[in-house]
Amino acid sequence: MIYNTINFNAAPFSYSLEFADRITLVRGDSATGKTYLYQMLEDLKLLEEYQAIKLFNYKTEEFHDNLKKCRDKFIVIDNADLLLDNEDRSFINFDSSNQYMLFARNCDGLNLSSGSFMLLHENDYKVSLERELVTV
Amino acid sequence: MIYLYTNKQDSGKWILQNDWYFNLYTSNEGFTEEDEKLIWQIDHAKLNRDKHIETKYGLGTIRNLSSGCKTILNVMKNPGKVVNADECGQNVLDILFSMKGISLYMTRPERIHIKEDVEICFNDVDIVVGSKGYEHWWSREYERRNMDDL
Repeated sequence: MIYNTINFNAAPFSYSLEFADRITLVRGDSATGKTYLYQMLEDLKLLEEYQAIKLFNYKTEEFHDNLKKCRDKFIVIDNADLLLDNEDRSFINFDSSNQYMLFARNCDGLNLSSGSFMLLHENDYKVSLERELVTV
Repeated sequence: MIYLYTNKQDSGKWILQNDWYFNLYTSNEGFTEEDEKLIWQIDHAKLNRDKHIETKYGLGTIRNLSSGCKTILNVMKNPGKVVNADECGQNVLDILFSMKGISLYMTRPERIHIKEDVEICFNDVDIVVGSKGYEHWWSREYERRNMDDL
């Protein structure tokens, strides 16, 4: 794991994200703050502690090639349902050097555990990842 | 009738990237009271006259709406286009499946509350009714994909 936890404050919100698997799939309803979190991580990655964060979204150029060049990174992919093809999913499965947080609903072709499925939960401005109840 | 397509087509009549399409095109259109209500329902965002929004995340523009909200607005503002619904959560899909005469692209089933009298046409071929018809169609589709090793 690159990061077991990511903690930061972004007033009025306080984020405490704990990861249980090398691949985390963040799903749930629309408008729960996934893209907002992605935008916060764009700032957070400028800190030395979080330099391993690597971000991809639908605006990323040459996504597939750049994904495969990553080593020892905490890779966050917004719009992952649009971006990931079968080859990318296979790469993620066999890639042990990187950790992934995917904002995606489609888990087809990914090797996941029950700890992979998470929902972004906000209560009283405290944001965390909660396990999604799924059958694996 | 709701028209569902499960195989991707690169066509000008299709909206595959909802954020991109909304930011460049749909956001420039006028928004009605009905749109404002939907924006509030999904994003809890208050839309101002100048297309700024107020949410719990702060002030922004209409381009800061969620992807799900942008998807539903793309559907409403672009009748006749097939809109990608793969990024939508259940809260948005429930609303989409209560509409009529819309066309969506979906690559996999999602849990959706579908009324029993809703007619769904898959790929311009199969017409099913209600949630049972929807689930039955996807079960058969997954059997077909397994047989074809997809």
